[in-house]
Amino acid sequence: MKPTRIRRALGSASLNWFSIVAGLIVWEAIARRLPHIVLPPPSIVLVRLVEDTLSGKLIVALLGSLEALALGLALAIVVGVPLGFAFGRSRTFADMFDPVLNALYAIPPVAFVPFLIIWFGLHLPARVALVFLMSVFEITVAVTAGARDVNPTQIDVGRSFGARRMDLARKVIFPAALPFIFTGFRIGLVRAINATITAELFFAAINLGALMNDDARRFDTAGLLSVIVLLSLLGLAAQAALRRLEARVLPWHIRAAA
Amino acid sequence: MLRLAGLAIALGIWELAGRRLGDALLAPPSVVVRQFVPQLFDGSVLPVLAGSLREMSIGFVLAYALGVPAGVLMARSKTVDALFGPWLSMGIVTSIAALVPLFILMFGTGFSFRVAIVFFATVWFVALTVFQGARGIEPRWLEVGRAFGAGPLQSFSKIMLPALYPSLLVGARIGLIHAIRAMVVAETFVVVGYGALIHNSGLSVSTAPLLGLLLLLMLIGIGVTWALRRVSSLIAPWYEDRRSL
Repeated sequence: MKPTRIRRALGSASLNWFSIVAGLIVWEAIARRLPHIVLPPPSIVLVRLVEDTLSGKLIVALLGSLEALALGLALAIVVGVPLGFAFGRSRTFADMFDPVLNALYAIPPVAFVPFLIIWFGLHLPARVALVFLMSVFEITVAVTAGARDVNPTQIDVGRSFGARRMDLARKVIFPAALPFIFTGFRIGLVRAINATITAELFFAAINLGALMNDDARRFDTAGLLSVIVLLSLLGLAAQAALRRLEARVLPWHIRAAA
Repeated sequence: MLRLAGLAIALGIWELAGRRLGDALLAPPSVVVRQFVPQLFDGSVLPVLAGSLREMSIGFVLAYALGVPAGVLMARSKTVDALFGPWLSMGIVTSIAALVPLFILMFGTGFSFRVAIVFFATVWFVALTVFQGARGIEPRWLEVGRAFGAGPLQSFSKIMLPALYPSLLVGARIGLIHAIRAMVVAETFVVVGYGALIHNSGLSVSTAPLLGLLLLLMLIGIGVTWALRRVSSLIAPWYEDRRSL
């Protein structure tokens, strides 16, 4: 890296930190004038976050939440990736079912909750179903974009070297679409985290959702905020981890952070 | 033709599955239409929907009015980008459902709560979309303008604004989809407005009214998308929106 670029990167990173610190100071200053039920200062939220993490309360709840998250996301990947390839590689299939996909996607996921209760009850299967519903579309769309954008020249080269359909799919199209599959996982994972807490609040309250419900009943705004902050940090960390994994697995394709 | 065939196949599968499973599990489309259409015009659905959409649009307009300038500023200035960036990425990943119990403590369950939820769910996505669009404005275009003697005002209204049109519309579309979702989340949680209709119809014996309400929401989403695409092709015909959703 050239020195100017390092300086620029440093500048933007330190501005990021400055912005975070400044935002927290403003929040603290405003919150000190308000009742803590309305807006607790970040210092209290931070203390709560650390206390509840050390006491294991948050960790136990979080581990419990992971079950529905993992199952729902796995299902969404198993369905979304092949579906995305079908949409991306077959013109006919895309023309036929694109309107159906768009129509289903236009329905707000939470509106399905009463329906999911009828089908799956109030517990784990219902939560898995909501996580699946909320992440499968995003994965399908990202994979579709990837499978559609494979450079036709690469396919022609493969074909002229005698590759068969299966070879083409495995050795040309799949690697070329991998970055988009990663994008799909990344967006899908964040959506799945959101879906998990949504399910825990809208079906029978459990894990982190139960913690939030208890906090809400006790008017414990700091407790609520500590769970929300934990979830958002988790989402950001998951995104960063997948980006790093992508750079590792696909070193030929490091894109600028979008 | 193919698009119609796809929809017909989906409807056919739904109809067959619905007849097999019965109305309590999955009412077939024929039953949904027969039961829901009269309900639609007896005054128990449409006024409620209009009320919910009115509140939703207030939250959306506020979010749009703030999100657009924020996105443009972030794209034009590295400093603003570095300042807003962390909060934007935090806002994007934050779950709206998780905010609902918090906002209830802060705002109660009334009008301001619902507007606040919609605002908070929407503003980040508007800002991000406009930011991505405005970043694509090439400095060359502005230089050409300057070379032809355009002042700052002219170069904004004649070069930057037209280049922004498409992303302003894509931002509106994505923002509205998130606004409608947030409206449903907030209303279903506190059982009010259209969300209350959805919640209560979940308790009825037949799934037909529930599916009818879902279809109505779907039509609104599709209508909004279609209308904004039309506007986009009218005022920015050079721009082809390639995102399928």
